[in-house]
Amino acid sequence: MTALSLLAEALKRFDPPWMEVGRIFRRICFLRAEGLAEEARRAEEFELAEAITRASKGSESEFESESILHAVLTGEKERVCDAIAFAEILVPMLAERLGAKVSPIRAAAHVPRKAQARAPEAPRDIADFIDDMIRQDKSA
Amino acid sequence: MTTATIEKQPTSAPTPAPAQTSGQRPLQAKPTTLLVGLDLGTNKSCLLVGPAGSADITVSKVVPSVVGYVKDGIVDGIITGNARILFGEEAIDQMLHVELVAPLAEGVISHPESARDFMQHIRQLADPSGKAEIRAVVGVPANADEEAREAIRRSAIGVFARILLIPEPFLAALGYRDDSRVKQPGYVDPVVNSLFIDIGGGTSDLCLVQGYFPTKEDQISIPFAGDAIDALLFDELNRTYPNNGLSKITVREIKETNAYVGPSRKPMDIKVVIGGKSRTLELGDAIGNACNTLIDKIYPALTMLIASASSDSVVTLLQNIIITGGGSQIKGIDTVLQKRLSDDGYESPKVRLAGQDFQRYVAIGALKAARAARENQWQVLFT
Repeated sequence: MTALSLLAEALKRFDPPWMEVGRIFRRICFLRAEGLAEEARRAEEFELAEAITRASKGSESEFESESILHAVLTGEKERVCDAIAFAEILVPMLAERLGAKVSPIRAAAHVPRKAQARAPEAPRDIADFIDDMIRQDKSA
Repeated sequence: MTTATIEKQPTSAPTPAPAQTSGQRPLQAKPTTLLVGLDLGTNKSCLLVGPAGSADITVSKVVPSVVGYVKDGIVDGIITGNARILFGEEAIDQMLHVELVAPLAEGVISHPESARDFMQHIRQLADPSGKAEIRAVVGVPANADEEAREAIRRSAIGVFARILLIPEPFLAALGYRDDSRVKQPGYVDPVVNSLFIDIGGGTSDLCLVQGYFPTKEDQISIPFAGDAIDALLFDELNRTYPNNGLSKITVREIKETNAYVGPSRKPMDIKVVIGGKSRTLELGDAIGNACNTLIDKIYPALTMLIASASSDSVVTLLQNIIITGGGSQIKGIDTVLQKRLSDDGYESPKVRLAGQDFQRYVAIGALKAARAARENQWQVLFT
C-alpha cells in the first residue's frame, strides 16, 4: 500500500457516513460508562450496525472498510476515555464554583436528548420491563 | 428515605435454625407471601390478590376509594360493631353518620392520613389473618413525580412489606394482554405496539407501548377525567336548575348511566328526586358538553404520541388504540376519537374499547408484574 493510498484511507474517516458511525459509537461508549448496558446494546445492534452498513457502501473493498472502521472505533474510544478523565477533573471544580452537583460522565457525554422515535421491539419478560423502569428512574 | 431497592439477592443459604428443644421458644413458621396487584384509583380502587408461586387469585375486589370517619355522638348500634372508621361502599351507605374523605385527588394522594387508613383496609381485604407478608405492585399515573410516588410509599409503610410502583397505562397493557394467545399467529400483542388511553377518575393517561418500557416521552398524563366531567356537569346543572339539591354522588351516578360524546343527543330526559318530589330534567346538552370536553383534552395528547412513533410502526399503531378505565364507558368515545383521527388524515385508525374488565386491567397487569418481579426489583418498606 502506498503512502498516498494510506493517506486517502485515513481521510475517509472524515466522510460523513463514517463520522456518523463515530458519533453513534461515542454515544455507546458513554452509555456503557453510565452503566446503561442494555441501551448501549440496543444502539450497537441497531443504530451502529445500520450506520456501518451505510458507510461501508462507499468503500472500495471490505479490507478498506474494516480498516477505516477499526480506526474510527479506536479513535472514538480514546476520545471518550480522554473526555471522561478530563470531565472527572474539571466538572467537580466547576460544580464547586457553581454550587451544582453534576455527574462527570453525564457532563462529558453531553448526549442530546432529542425525541427519537424508537422502533417497536419484540416482547420480553415482564421482569426485563421492570429492569428498564428501574434504570430509567435511576437515570432520572 | 423510606425505601430501598434490594441490590443483590442473598447468595448464601439462610442460617439453619437450631433444633427445638424443650424450654426454648417455639420456632416461628415463615409467613405466607401474598402478592397484590393494586390499582389505587381516585374514585375506585381494584385489588387482586394471589399467593406467591401460584397462579390462583384469592381476592378480586373493586372498592370505592373513600374513607368514612364516624361523627361524634352517633348512638351505639347505628354503625355495625360501633366501628370508628368505615371504608368504600359501607362508608358511602353511612354517609349521614360519617365524614367522607377521599384519600386521592387527580390520581395522587391528597390526604395522607386517610390514605394510610385506606391502605390498612386494602391489607385487611387481602389478608384477613393479618399474618402474611404482602408484596404489592401499585399503579401510579403516567408521569407521577417522585413526591407523588413517595406519598404512596409512605402510606404503605407497615402495611406492605415490599412495593413496586409502575405507571398505570403500562399495567393496563399488561393486564389486557391475553398471555395464552401471545404466541398464536394472528394475535396482536398489545405490549408490542399499541397506544393505551386509560381514563380514570382523576387523570387520563396515554401511553405508547412498543415492546420496551415506556419512557417519560412515551407517556402523557392529563389532569382531566371523570371527576372533572362530574364538576362540569354539577356546575351546569346548578346553572340550569338552581337549588336542585342534587349531591355530587347523584350527579356522578347520572353521568355514569348517561355519559356520551359526539353530536347532541337532546332530548335526554332524566328522572331525579328533588326535595322529595320526582322531576324530569333535560340533560342532553349538559352531559354532552361536559363529556366532549374530555375529547378536546385527550385528542392533542393522542396525536402528539402518534407523531412520536417511528414511521415503520405508526400504521400498525393506529390499528391498536385501546381505551380503558371508567372513561371507556362513555358512549361513542371510541367512534368519535376514531372519526376525528380519520378526518385529520390518519391512515385507517382503529380505536377500541378494552371491554367489560375495564375496571380491572390495571390490577391484573399489576398482579402479573408482582408475579414476574425478581427479588432484587422490589423496594423494601422500612417501618
